[in-house]
Amino acid sequence: MLEGKVKIINPLGLHARAAAQLVRLAGSFQSKIKLVRSDNFVMADAKSILSVLTLAAAKGIELALSVEGADEKQAFQSIQEIFADGFGEL
Amino acid sequence: MKKIGGVIVTHGQVAGELLAAAETIIGVQGHITAVSIGWHDDVEMAKDEILRAIKKVSQGAGVLLLTDMFGGTPTNISAMFIKDNEVEIVTGVNLPMVIKLASQNKELTLNEMAKQVEEQGKQAIYRTSELLEPQKLKKDA
Repeated sequence: MLEGKVKIINPLGLHARAAAQLVRLAGSFQSKIKLVRSDNFVMADAKSILSVLTLAAAKGIELALSVEGADEKQAFQSIQEIFADGFGEL
Repeated sequence: MKKIGGVIVTHGQVAGELLAAAETIIGVQGHITAVSIGWHDDVEMAKDEILRAIKKVSQGAGVLLLTDMFGGTPTNISAMFIKDNEVEIVTGVNLPMVIKLASQNKELTLNEMAKQVEEQGKQAIYRTSELLEPQKLKKDA
């Protein structure tokens, strides 16, 4: 299992379309991908948009990312990149 | 995998707009369609339109009708189509319910899907100020 932190840097936060992008990406991997808010420990399955939206994660929020499975290395890297890229909104 | 079809049935243009919003977020959904019942539409015409929509989205796994309000005309007309394992209704449609029905990744019976959509719809309602309160307190502290 790979674990790390990701931070939301795009101004609109993890809104519906950004969440949809994340879910599409997460869904392309076999690994289990989990996100947990560092401040209130709300947890989400990165493959479910409705779950990701319950994070209500605004700009500046830090999330703990954990990825476990056969393709965890690629998945971990790709998910980190999409956060670092601000979901293409920067 | 056969998907459970969906028809959103509402007063006015709400149905089409709800579907459009869902599709903006998660992409075009071939197994879901929308029927808007005009305020002055004839009941027989509305009934025909719903029947056409059910046939359009049916893949053989059942069709779930999502209506706006229990007791309203769209629900009452839709109720004429209820049939075990074929057509089921959940009222009080909201965007998370449409998204839930759209994202089917495992085979469920129509009944199971209807229950999940109902639960999702209820769970997705938050009094947001209450939800954000702990953070506000933290900031002040």
